Amino acid sequence: MAENGEEKLIAVARHIAKTLGHTDTMTDDILQIFSSFDNRFREKLTDDQPLERSLKSLHRQISRHLSAQHPIWSDSADSAAFLDSVDQLLAIIHEWNPMANDKSVSASLDKAEDLLQQAMFRLQDEFTTLMQRASESVDLTRHQNGGDNLGGYYESEEEEEEVDDDDDDDSGEIPIAHPVTDYGILIEALPAGIISDLHEIAKRMVAAGYDKECSHAYSVSRREFLEESLSRLGLQKLSMDQVQKMQWNELEDEIEKWVKAVNVALRILFPSERRLCDRVFFGFNSVSDLSFMEVSRGSTIQLLNFADAVAISSRAPERLFKVLDVYEALRDLMPKFEFMFSDQYCVLLRNEALTIWRRLGEAIRGIFMELENLIRRDPAKTPVPGGGLHPITRYVMNYIRAACRSRITLEQVFKEIIVPSASAVDYREGDDRALSSSSLAVQMAWIMELLESNLETKSKIYKDSALLAVFMMNNERYIVQKVKDSELGLLLGDDWVRKHAAKVKQYHVNYHRSSWSKVSGVLKIDNNAMSSPTGASRSLKEKLKLFNSYFEEICKTQSTWIIFDEQLKEELRISVAGALSPAYRNFIGRLQSNNDSSRHTERHIKFSVEDLEARISELFQGSSGSGGGRK
Amino acid sequence: MPATDFSTFGRSILSLRRDQQVHSMESGGHEGTSHELELEAFQKQVAERFNDLASADSDQLLSIPWIHKLLEVFLSCQEQFKSVVSKNKGLLNKSPADRYVMEYYERSVKALDVCNAIRDGIELIRQWQKQLEIVYYALDNQRSIGEGQIRRSMKALIDLAIGMIDEKESNSSFAHRNRSFGRNNAQKDNNSLGQFRSLSWSVSRNWSATKQLQAIGQNLVAPKNNEISATNGLATAVFTMSYVLYFVMWTLVAAIPCQDRGLQTHFHVTRQFVWAAPVLTLHDRILEESRKRERKNVCGLLREINKIEMCARHMNELTDTIHFPLSEEKEGEVKQRVQELGIVYYGLKDGLGPLERQVREVFHRIVRSRTEGLDSIG
Repeated sequence: MAENGEEKLIAVARHIAKTLGHTDTMTDDILQIFSSFDNRFREKLTDDQPLERSLKSLHRQISRHLSAQHPIWSDSADSAAFLDSVDQLLAIIHEWNPMANDKSVSASLDKAEDLLQQAMFRLQDEFTTLMQRASESVDLTRHQNGGDNLGGYYESEEEEEEVDDDDDDDSGEIPIAHPVTDYGILIEALPAGIISDLHEIAKRMVAAGYDKECSHAYSVSRREFLEESLSRLGLQKLSMDQVQKMQWNELEDEIEKWVKAVNVALRILFPSERRLCDRVFFGFNSVSDLSFMEVSRGSTIQLLNFADAVAISSRAPERLFKVLDVYEALRDLMPKFEFMFSDQYCVLLRNEALTIWRRLGEAIRGIFMELENLIRRDPAKTPVPGGGLHPITRYVMNYIRAACRSRITLEQVFKEIIVPSASAVDYREGDDRALSSSSLAVQMAWIMELLESNLETKSKIYKDSALLAVFMMNNERYIVQKVKDSELGLLLGDDWVRKHAAKVKQYHVNYHRSSWSKVSGVLKIDNNAMSSPTGASRSLKEKLKLFNSYFEEICKTQSTWIIFDEQLKEELRISVAGALSPAYRNFIGRLQSNNDSSRHTERHIKFSVEDLEARISELFQGSSGSGGGRK
Repeated sequence: MPATDFSTFGRSILSLRRDQQVHSMESGGHEGTSHELELEAFQKQVAERFNDLASADSDQLLSIPWIHKLLEVFLSCQEQFKSVVSKNKGLLNKSPADRYVMEYYERSVKALDVCNAIRDGIELIRQWQKQLEIVYYALDNQRSIGEGQIRRSMKALIDLAIGMIDEKESNSSFAHRNRSFGRNNAQKDNNSLGQFRSLSWSVSRNWSATKQLQAIGQNLVAPKNNEISATNGLATAVFTMSYVLYFVMWTLVAAIPCQDRGLQTHFHVTRQFVWAAPVLTLHDRILEESRKRERKNVCGLLREINKIEMCARHMNELTDTIHFPLSEEKEGEVKQRVQELGIVYYGLKDGLGPLERQVREVFHRIVRSRTEGLDSIG
C-alpha cells in the first residue's frame, strides 16, 4: 500500500512539474525543489539515468557561471561553487569512462566533455584575468614608489628595498666590485590569496588535461613581468658585435649594471618566480618546471649573452678588473644556477652558464698573456735619464700588485686549466694557503722574469756600465719593494725575495767596480816609485791630479743620476765614502809627509777629506726638479 | 726558458708573429707543394660538401634535417680551415695575410649574433609546436571526437595563426605601444596578439638580421692574383671560409624567423671557385622558394613551417565544415588530418631540440677558433 501511495505521489509530482514548467529548465528546477523535500523523489522523479541526471544538473550550474559577464573570481562564493561543479564533472567523467561502450553512457560522456571544455576555457580566462589583475596592482606600487623598485608584495615587515642605480661606494682605489649584500627581502610576487586561487584553477585544468593551456597562460604573464623588471635595472640588450665595438668606459658602466642586475635576478627575481611556480602548480612538478623555464629563459639568456660578449672581447690588460667582476659574479651565483636550473628543461641553460663562466676564465688568462706580450714588446729605445725607474717597471708592478688583491679568484682561474672537467670545478673560494708552486705563482714568477729580461735589454743602451748598474739597481729594488709588502710576496715566496735582493747587491758591486775602482786604484801607493823622494813626490803629484780629474768627473756625472729609494741612496753613498775616504786620507797623509815641495804639492790638493765626503753625499740627486722614481 | 707548464697557457699562432725573434721563412721546396695540395684539397672538399647539400630534393631542402647537414658542413669546413691556418703560421706573419684573417674573425663575431637570433627563432617555432600539441592531444586517440575537442583545437589553431603573423607586421609598432602605455592595453589584447608578442627577442629592437648579414658580407671579394701569391694561396682559403660563413648565416636567416629578416643580400662569386656552382645553385633555389606565392609573407622558409601552415589550414578547413553529430566519413577525415598533424608535431618535437643544440655548437666553435687566433692581439 505504501508503495502504491509513493508511486502515486511521485506521479502527481511529475505531473505538476510538467504542467507548471514551461521550459525544461523550469521543470527540472521544480523537480529539484520537490527532491529537496523528500529523499524518495530524488531518485524516482525523473526518467533520466543517474548519469544523465547528474549531468543535467551540473550543466545547469556550470552554464549559469559561464554566462556571467563579470569574472567568476570576483566573488569567492561563486568561484568556490564553480570549482565544486567542475570537480563533480571531472569525477563523473572519470567514473563513467570505463563504461563508455554503452551507447547512452557514451552519449552522456560526450556532453560531459563538451561541458568540460567550456568550463576549461572559462577557467583559462579567469586564470589569465587573475594574473593580470594582480600584476597590474604590482605595477601601481612600482609607480607609486618610483625609481627602480621591483614591485611585489613583501613577506617581511621591512621597508621595500630600493635597488639604486648609483654606486655609493666610489673610492679612489682600483675599482673592486662591492657585493650587494642585502638580499634579505623576499619578494612575494603575487598576494597569497591570488596564488591560492590560481592554484585551485591550475589543479582542475591539469586534471582535465589542459595543463598546456594553463602553463602557457601562466608563462606569458610572468615572463612579461620578469623581463620588465630586468629592463628596469637599466640593462641594454647589446649584441656581441656592439659589445666588441663599445668604448671601454661605456662597457665598464654596463658591466657594473650587469653585476647588479644578475645578482638581483638570481637572488631575488628568479627564486621568487620559482617559488610562485611551485605554489601555483603545487603537486605537478613537471608543469611547474616547464613553466619556470618558459618564464625565465629569455631573461637568463639575455644576462648570459652579455657575460659571453665580455668573455670574447679585447684582452687589453686594463680590462682585467672588470672582467674579474663578471667572473666572480657568475662564480658566486653558480650554486643558485645549479639549484634553480637543474630540472630537465633548464639544464641546458645551466650548462651554458658554466661554459660562459669558463670562457671568462679563459679571457682572464688571455689578459695576462697580453700583459706578457706588452712587456716583451716594450722597446728599448730611449734610456731613462739618470738611470732611474722605468715606467714599465712601475706599471707592471702596480698592476700585478693590484691584480693579486684578487689572488683567490686568480688562483681559481689559473688552476682551471689543469682541471677543466665540470665535476672537478669547485665554486667555493679557493685555498687560502699560498702555495708558491701554484699555477698563479708560476704565472707571476714568469711575468717577473719577463720584466727583468726586458729591463736587462733596456739596460744595454747605457754605454756607461756604472749607469747600467744603477738603472738595474733602481728597477730591481723597486720590484723587490713592491713584492715584499704585498700578496705577491706570499705567492713568490721568501726565496725569491732573497734571490732578488741579492741581485740588487750584485749590481751594487758592479757599480763600484765600474766607476770607483778606477779612482781608488789611483790612490794606491806604488812602493817602487816611492823609493826616491823626488820620484815619490812626482808620482804622488801625478796621482793626485789624476784622482782630482776622475773624482770631479764622476761627481759631476753621477750627481745627476737617480737612486729613487732613500735607503739605497744612503747605502750607496756610505759605501762609496767607505771605500774612498780612508784611502784618500791615507794618500793625503802620505803626500803631506813627503815634504819635498809640500807647498807646491799642496796646491794640487783640491779636496780635503771632508770636501770629499761632502761631494760624495751629493751623488744621485738627479737633475733639478725630477725626483726620479717615487717609492 | 719557461717550463712546459706554460705551453698550456695557449701560445696562440698569431702571438708567434710578434714575440719570437726567429721565425723561419723557408716555405719553398717540397713544403710548398704539399701546402698547395692542402689548399686545393680544402677547396675541393668544400665543393663536395656543398654538392651534397645541393643534391637535396625540393622536399628536403630547408628542412630541419637539411639545416642540420648544412651546419655540419660549416663545422667541417671550419675545422679544416683551422688546420690549414695552423700549419701555415709563418705565412700569417706577412701582410696582407694577417689582415685577411683578422677580417674573417671580425665577420665571425657578427655571425655569433646571427646564431643568437636563430636560437630565439627556434624558440618561437617551439611555441607554435606547443599549439600543435594541444590540437594533437585534443583530437588524437580520443574516445570520440566531440564539439569540445573541436573547439579546443580551433582555439589552439587561432592562437597558432596569430603567433605566425609575420614579425614585420605585428612586432615593432604594436609591442611598442604596449610598453609605452602601460599594462592596461595588454588587458584587451591578452588573448590575441599580446600572447605571442611577449616572446621578446634577446636582441634589441634595433637589431636587424638583414643588416647583420650585409655586414658579414661586406668587402667579401675574391682575392686578386697578386694577393694570392703574396699570401702563398692562403688568401683563397680565407676567402672560401668567409664565403661559407656568409652563406650559412644567410641560409639560417632565410629559414628561421628572426628580427628584420630579409634576403636582399647579394652573392657575387665567380665560377672560378670549384665550390661556387653548388653554393650559387642553393642560393638560387632558396631565393626561388621565397618568391613562391604562398611563401611570400612567411616568417621563415623552413620546410616544417610550411608544413605547419598547411596542416593548420587543412584542419581549419575541416573544422569549418564540421557539423555534429559527425558522420563516419567526417570522422575519418578528421583522423587523417590529425595523423598528418601528428607527423608534423613529432618532427618538430624531435628536431627542434637537437637543432638548437647544434646552433649553439656552431656558436661555441666559432668563438673557440676566433679566440685561438686572436689571443695575443687582444
